[in-house]
Amino acid sequence: MAKFVTIGERLSTTAPAVNKAFTERDPEPILKRAKQQLDAGATYLDVNIGPAENDGEDLMKWAVQLLQGEFDNVPLALDTTNMKAIEAGISVYNRAKGKPIVNSADAGDRIANIDLAAANDAIVIALCSSGMVAADNDERMMHCQNMLERGMMLGMDPQDLWFDPLFLVVKGMQDKQMEVLEAIKMFSEMGLNSTGGLSNNSNGMPKHIRPIMDSALVAMAMMQGLTSAIVNPNDLRLMETIKSCDVFKNNTLYADSYLEI
Amino acid sequence: MPFNQKPQKFNAKINTVTIGSGDKTVSIGGNSTFPFYSFDAPTANTAKVGVEISDMGLEGASEGIKAYYEGATTMAEIAQKAAAMEGADFVALVLEGGDPNGENKSVEELIAIVKEVADAVDCPLVVEGCKNVEKDAELLPKVAEVLQGRNVLILSEKEENYKAIGAAAGLAYNQIVGAESAVDINLAKQLNVVTTQLGVNAQKIVMNVGSACAGYGYEYVVSTMDRIKGAALGQNDNMLQMPIITPVASETWGVKEASASEADMPEWGPQDERGIDMEIMTAAADLAAGSDAVILRHPQSVATISKMIKALA
Repeated sequence: MAKFVTIGERLSTTAPAVNKAFTERDPEPILKRAKQQLDAGATYLDVNIGPAENDGEDLMKWAVQLLQGEFDNVPLALDTTNMKAIEAGISVYNRAKGKPIVNSADAGDRIANIDLAAANDAIVIALCSSGMVAADNDERMMHCQNMLERGMMLGMDPQDLWFDPLFLVVKGMQDKQMEVLEAIKMFSEMGLNSTGGLSNNSNGMPKHIRPIMDSALVAMAMMQGLTSAIVNPNDLRLMETIKSCDVFKNNTLYADSYLEI
Repeated sequence: MPFNQKPQKFNAKINTVTIGSGDKTVSIGGNSTFPFYSFDAPTANTAKVGVEISDMGLEGASEGIKAYYEGATTMAEIAQKAAAMEGADFVALVLEGGDPNGENKSVEELIAIVKEVADAVDCPLVVEGCKNVEKDAELLPKVAEVLQGRNVLILSEKEENYKAIGAAAGLAYNQIVGAESAVDINLAKQLNVVTTQLGVNAQKIVMNVGSACAGYGYEYVVSTMDRIKGAALGQNDNMLQMPIITPVASETWGVKEASASEADMPEWGPQDERGIDMEIMTAAADLAAGSDAVILRHPQSVATISKMIKALA
């Protein structure tokens, strides 16, 4: 089995400093956050430029070239609702370290992002919902099937669709948590890859609690077969948990210094 | 149904390490397949064969080996004959006389031999210590120092002395570091991790993951090598992508099948032949399990294994 893939989430317009840097094309804060995440062990970096309706194409190209130029063609997840911006980013993307990830498609309005990924030989995150959170796993798996079939019809390798069960917030949807974990198991049993915004579970919790909840959930989700997650790699407890789970799953060979590599 | 060959492709490969300097160098590793699986992907470098010589000269060598070196009296002459052996890719000098529990030769005495051998041959060189961790920590940094510019492989650092030997060989004198573990896959990885943490370039490390003579707990050697290659290629584990060198002769010539005289064991047949058989069988198995280079003694073993490698390439 391959090592768990962490996608660093800290380059996002939701952070005011990042938003400002993207707007002003200021490389320094972007590179600093990228380096922190890579040093902490992130495999992919998510580049969330927001809706970017005006200059999305230009901005995504700038970000891709900036990051890949500085960090030896680091693989990236291109994260925006602006499809033209994703295509523009892929047009300058170097695949030496991994295919680009289109973040993201769903079974509703954003289903065309599967077509975009297929046309550009990219990976796509496929959110198993359509507008609203899936009511149950019957609905989740229906969306999963539909998106899988669409991708395969367009010639995609099933491994390039990374299914996202949509992690739900504990404060408010505590009774739905096991269902999400069961969906991951179903993806895994179908031989499919999976990912998601894992830290959503701990939204609204005190700062010191979140790493504990996130770590517990990632361990349970990896047991179910989760192959990737969009996370904050600078959460040490979480990264230590992922590395330890990779050892238990025999995804990496143990050495005493395994936490340092 | 027709047979449909599906190659096993890995997006990872073993590091290429080049030993030696000038015109005469030898490269090991570089492959992205299991050993001899040339049907899966082209082979970058075939496995290589080294000839072992000792600072103790021909003392204790088998009859066939003595016959090959006949007329060679100095270490320089022995080294030249070793380098000229059919199928030899490099020479491996073992400084076994340094062992405090044996001859206990001084570092100065051994360094003089190292210089004599290095001056006598221009082929790629491997220098092995005496296996005593304290003595090697003192001896091998000196070896690395006097052979500056020759790009030799120093065998080996161990868990107990990697700081002294790894830093001298890999950092101060820019040689190739041999990292030795005793048939322990986790320790093999750990030693590579801590060696690179010293600052040694991962591309300048070769592993000796331990060995045994065929029949002497050898199954562990096979499974260790197999799992290392599996993790290096299948999991793209860059802390296990160093090529593997295996000193075979030092294991096989000591077992009773090779050392019992024909007078003691008439039913076993000629002693030299038994030694050659043990050496060839073990080397062939090591290469099939994952060694990128083997170190042998007997000219017949060297020729045979070299021929086998070429035939399977």
